[in-house]
Amino acid sequence: MADNVYDAIVVGSGISGGWAAKELTEKGLKVLLLERGRNVEHVKDYVNANKEVWEFEHRTNRPTVQMLKDYPVLRRDYVLNEANLDFWAKDSESPYTETKPFAWFRGYQVGGRSLTWGRQSYRFNKWDFEANGKEGIGVDWPIRYNDLAPWYSYVEKFAGIQGSKEGLDVLPDGEFLPAMDMNIVEKDVAKRIKEKFEGKRHFFIGRSANITQPKPEQKRINCQYRDRCWRGCPYGAYFSTQSATLPAAMATGNLTLRPFAIVKQVLYDKNTKKATGVEILDAETNKTYEYKAKIIFLNASALNSTWVLMNSATGIWPDGLGSSSGELGHNVMDHHLNAGASGFVEGYEDKYIFGRRPTGIYVPRYRNIYDDKRDYVRGFGYQGSASREGWKHDVAELTIGGAFKDATCEAGSWKMGLSGFGEMLPYHENKVTLNKNKTDKWGLPVLDMDVEIKENERRMRKDMMNDAIEMLEAAGVKKIKPELDEKYQPGMGIHEMGTARMGRDPKTSVLNAHNQVWDAINVFVTDGAAMTSASCVNPSLTYMALTARAADYAVGELKKGNL
Amino acid sequence: MNRRELLRLVTMATGSVLIGSELLLSGCNTTDSNTAFASLTAEEIAFLDEVGETILPATASPGAKAAEVGKFINVMIRDCYETDDQQTFQKGIKELDLACKKMQGKTFLEATAQQREQFLIALDKEAKDYSKKKTLFDNEQGKLYTQAQEKGDLQFKKERMQPHYFTMMKQLVMIGFFTSKTGATQALRHVAVPGRYDGAMEYKKGDKAWSSK
Repeated sequence: MADNVYDAIVVGSGISGGWAAKELTEKGLKVLLLERGRNVEHVKDYVNANKEVWEFEHRTNRPTVQMLKDYPVLRRDYVLNEANLDFWAKDSESPYTETKPFAWFRGYQVGGRSLTWGRQSYRFNKWDFEANGKEGIGVDWPIRYNDLAPWYSYVEKFAGIQGSKEGLDVLPDGEFLPAMDMNIVEKDVAKRIKEKFEGKRHFFIGRSANITQPKPEQKRINCQYRDRCWRGCPYGAYFSTQSATLPAAMATGNLTLRPFAIVKQVLYDKNTKKATGVEILDAETNKTYEYKAKIIFLNASALNSTWVLMNSATGIWPDGLGSSSGELGHNVMDHHLNAGASGFVEGYEDKYIFGRRPTGIYVPRYRNIYDDKRDYVRGFGYQGSASREGWKHDVAELTIGGAFKDATCEAGSWKMGLSGFGEMLPYHENKVTLNKNKTDKWGLPVLDMDVEIKENERRMRKDMMNDAIEMLEAAGVKKIKPELDEKYQPGMGIHEMGTARMGRDPKTSVLNAHNQVWDAINVFVTDGAAMTSASCVNPSLTYMALTARAADYAVGELKKGNL
Repeated sequence: MNRRELLRLVTMATGSVLIGSELLLSGCNTTDSNTAFASLTAEEIAFLDEVGETILPATASPGAKAAEVGKFINVMIRDCYETDDQQTFQKGIKELDLACKKMQGKTFLEATAQQREQFLIALDKEAKDYSKKKTLFDNEQGKLYTQAQEKGDLQFKKERMQPHYFTMMKQLVMIGFFTSKTGATQALRHVAVPGRYDGAMEYKKGDKAWSSK
């Protein structure tokens, strides 16, 4: 085999790319894993993982003015901070244009955003896969919950998801490791919400990819309750490419990892109607190379996988590979957020919390299911937590001096907050396009973003705030402060989805039921781009399941000689 | 932890959100410039240690001076404050001294510990009253911004009212102290690797709070 020929090429090494690499190599394929950014080695390159707050020059307290200048996009939300700045793409090197405001927070390194993700891991439910078809919104998913359920189980067992079994249709249980504990206030709030809403609303520990039982076969030990996950975990206690999928893929001896490889296009042969490989640009040397393979997995994150398609086979389709449906780049979705409420909890002065739990609580969707009917479709879930204030709490009467200091050094009041994550519908007119008038430092055209939330989302956001107030009131929370932040921009959920959607018909979708590009069946897209609808739950677990399923199918087809 | 919680703005006993944090929000008229400022002088840094020690003095645990808050404040002013705030802050050091002289008949460094405390209690009140006005002003600008957005005017920028210099000082002293090794490990409790979670541990009045992670 020539040194540029592989069985499979995986583009992108984040959550879904890591899974594609693992599955394909374990099934015996020689795989080239391409990553546009630098390498990040597990543990060794987590340079801030063990730093204490006083070891940071600015104590992680706020970004410097230079950081604000350098990161005009990242600064729009909480992500700009000195504790893990090295895990976010430099805005200056990754421009895009905004017809409408869009926050695009990217992780350009080996591991992608699997290093920084929120780790919340939920299954879509059966209604999520049916809603588009029933409501005539977008297109129908070509798969149902039962198609994906075994793959959810498969990826959960390997990734390690802690959570509690709740027996709910709206949020199917998975293969859980022992659940992390709710604190005393959360337990009481859970009880009150259950009573007050007659079992129709639920409140339990947030399911997350933090392990609570060691995985010695993966060299991962339990979560140590430091809550510094997004700096990289020296214990491998949360799921990331580095902690889990990459070592598994490497162990097969079948993987070649190539950092600094910006994929410019998928190479397409119009005679066979298949891809033959990819062309890459070396980000350091600016030289181009070609790699050949029988199958290609695009896992560059939703918008970048779409970008690659838009730049491919343009001699045949001016708008790129997969554009024949007219849907490539359209139907951009995110989860809209920053709507909820928080307040103070009286009492519990004799209780405190030991340890920093890396997950909160979760309230699954209850709107527009069973007999509930609102003036919008779909719904939202809440993430939140109860905690006791530390030194930042207010001290009554005292303002400076020894007594003030000693009072400040004590624990403050308990607080409880709920923050909604709402489903955004797939609107055809919400789109990304290639902006050929602007190029990045490698001379490549950039994306233009034209995405907004609409009436359905705005109505839902009112409920996200009002229901949070109502539930906190029911739980006895005082001094409730509503949150309905108009600052939300699409992208801030960091859950970009939908720009190469799956469907049943090549005329209205980009991918088929096995994530194959209709126009090139040996090209698979299994990241957020594939999503036909968004649900309201955090999507990464679904990308993992879709990827494992598609990889299994791809290898089967390859063996049958169909690819 | 909810990943969105990081954004919650706390007032930290100053009646004002973190100085400059409003600049992170959309629609603010920011200069993104702070190049004019090199460093506070050694005297100013020593002066801030004394102000810090009055706000957070040594009690059973060390105070702000032992935690070298002056040095930290210098770094924060230099790197994290924009030009307007840098100027307000540096002028504030002189204003503080003048105000002390007016009230106590002595400069801050000449004043006794008791006089310093008395004076800063009065100054804290002045700063809080000022912050209330600033909050009203900021809310009004926020409304104008929302209205402009709704009308499709994306160019509208919020005006900014300068914060009170003592609000800045007090915030920086508190952050500097409680996130220092001294403050975190001696005034507060610090556990680098908890290893477990207990959501109902016993707590009695006077027990120390946890340090920042």
